[in-house]
Amino acid sequence: MAAIFPSEEWLKGLEAKLNSDTRYRDLARNWEGDLLFFIEPEGHLDERLTFYLDLWHGTCRKVEYKPPAESHPNPVFTLTASYNNITSILTGKLNPMTAMMTSRLKVKGSMGYMMRNVPTVLDFVRCAQEVTTEIL
Amino acid sequence: MQPILKIDLTTGKTEEYRIPEVWERDFLGGASLAARILYSSLTRELDPLSPDAPLLFMMGPLTGTSGPTTGRFVVCGKGPATGLWAESNIGGFWGPELRAAGYDGLWITGKAEEPVYLWLNGDRLEARKAAHLWGQNTYTTQEKVREEIGEKSAHVCVIGPAGEKQVLFASIMCDHGRMAGRTGMGAVMGAKNLKAIAVRGVNQIPVFDLAKYAPLRSESNRVLKQDNEASVLREIGTAGAANYAEYLGAMPAKYYTRGAFENVDHISGARMTETILVARSACQGCVIACGRVVKLGDKAKRKGPEYETIVGFGPNLLNDNLESIVDLGELCDRYGMDTISTANTIGLAFHLFEKGLITENDTNGLVLTWGDVGTIEQLVHLIGRREGIGDLLAQGSRRFAASFDAEEEAVQVNGLEVAYHDPRGVSGMALSYATSPRGACHNQSDYFFVDWGHTHERLGITYFDRHAQAEKAANVARHQDWRTVFNSIVMCIFANTDPEMQARLINAACGLDWTVEDMMKAGERGWNLKRAINNRMGLTRANDKLPRALLEPFPDGGSAGFEPDIQGMLQAYYEARGWDVATGKPSRTKLIELGLDEIAQDLWD
Repeated sequence: MAAIFPSEEWLKGLEAKLNSDTRYRDLARNWEGDLLFFIEPEGHLDERLTFYLDLWHGTCRKVEYKPPAESHPNPVFTLTASYNNITSILTGKLNPMTAMMTSRLKVKGSMGYMMRNVPTVLDFVRCAQEVTTEIL
Repeated sequence: MQPILKIDLTTGKTEEYRIPEVWERDFLGGASLAARILYSSLTRELDPLSPDAPLLFMMGPLTGTSGPTTGRFVVCGKGPATGLWAESNIGGFWGPELRAAGYDGLWITGKAEEPVYLWLNGDRLEARKAAHLWGQNTYTTQEKVREEIGEKSAHVCVIGPAGEKQVLFASIMCDHGRMAGRTGMGAVMGAKNLKAIAVRGVNQIPVFDLAKYAPLRSESNRVLKQDNEASVLREIGTAGAANYAEYLGAMPAKYYTRGAFENVDHISGARMTETILVARSACQGCVIACGRVVKLGDKAKRKGPEYETIVGFGPNLLNDNLESIVDLGELCDRYGMDTISTANTIGLAFHLFEKGLITENDTNGLVLTWGDVGTIEQLVHLIGRREGIGDLLAQGSRRFAASFDAEEEAVQVNGLEVAYHDPRGVSGMALSYATSPRGACHNQSDYFFVDWGHTHERLGITYFDRHAQAEKAANVARHQDWRTVFNSIVMCIFANTDPEMQARLINAACGLDWTVEDMMKAGERGWNLKRAINNRMGLTRANDKLPRALLEPFPDGGSAGFEPDIQGMLQAYYEARGWDVATGKPSRTKLIELGLDEIAQDLWD
């Protein structure tokens, strides 16, 4: 399933991809943690956009597009990036490690957990890239 | 800049040396300025352990200014194991203290008749007898010197027994466990019968335009505090990199013969944080605090190991016991020995033993079995005391291997043991190691970060695949220039600062009006000067090489099968640098372009 980013359809497509991709399922088999994404307005995006994904042992248990503010007060990771940086990652123009190491993608959460699970994170990005057919 | 205090330990004479202004501008400070100052002293004939050999403790213009990670200084001279340019960077609080005492460097020559330590209290210098401290370990010596001088606020640089016995990879320590580890500057200090240097200063550290500098300092520290990498380093230390490095096949195991280490999670920074970490420590003014404080079974607080120590005494020797690595790191600290070189040289001994190139007849009866912590510990003691096989190991891996006709087995470049970032996993390190002015060093260019994805677009340092080859040569050269700026001002390479901000900090601190390009030119100038020093001391293109082990593909792990094409990379590197391809020397044109006309004459006329 592929879709235009950003949209609820895209997020649902990513959920389906994560739940069907065998490579992701294998790499993420020990991952326990939800992600809250903040995409800061820039370019075609006029206001901050929020995604929520609940990832658990290689599956995606739930996604929420534009969840109400404060509905997920303590996610395991909060990731924040500008619209252009996120779309650059999704189109492969910006290496996700570069985005993290240069703080273009800001990470809040356990860095120990993140460093142990970099392969999982990179594969998550691969899945997100594969469901992205078009950028708004 | 403030003057440098010259001290001749043979005669006891001192003088204040004023740095020529043009050198301050061209080289800024730290290692680059030290290279310019020592240029004429460092000759091919100079014995690095002789009284004539200089030992220069050099500050940078940002040292002690509480800028981003600027609590550092550098110790420079001629390397006793390499016979080349030597510099070793160190943190803590000693450097800022020296600047507060009114000096931007200590330039030590000569040799004291008997062991001494120096006590610099403001502008008063005293040489005190140190025979009673000779043989004491580095931690104890720091405490005893502070007690004797009756000044708890003083900071003390020391050597341990390894420096006294001139182990060729002996370190200099300060502020408990901060270490100038690489290139054997501790042996040079020991050869001068100099056990310690205590410093106390109360002056304000000079900044050219503090009103301009202060807000820049606040802003850069605020940004650094929020930086992702800084968060990793603060939370899980430098060893936080172990998991990812192992995944990539960039963390060597079993003396550089394996690219995978199954139990990496037993020894990683994340594991340390979850099990034995009780606190973090920082150098002067640092907002990162990558230093670890841990507790083991005896409940005493002690220094926790960083990445290099963890890999050196861990995967390198097939040891997955984190607590034993803490102990081995501390043992090296107490003797005053670089953990990279110590663990590497011990790894070589294990490797040669396995291959049958040395036997129990050579090892004082020790059976060298991979992962045997007791044997590793015995070897550390033997090296620190220069007893038995330890006397041979104390000469470093190149000489140790050569004494068994096995020089090709030693994983070193020009006499400095390779650090634990393997070029088969991060290919840029092939050039970093082969062309570093001080031997196989990861701090002259920590290019592994770039190979992981840490680019610097403003500087033209872009991303190449971690297994790209000659096409990344110019990128590596650019990164070396960038790090040469760090080593001159003197700043920790963990500070992920914006280059524009860095130039503004330098301008405010030094009264300059530099662009980023001017700053990078200073880095390039420093790099070329160090190369010229080495050329004068006998280094040729033939020295730019990698040990055989790093050119053989790993059989396993995330980089299995990959071989760096070092010759292709070097060819592209010389072209990018503007160096003479036949000799590997900086070309006359390049030297003149950098304003190094005098050096050009020396090298080419």
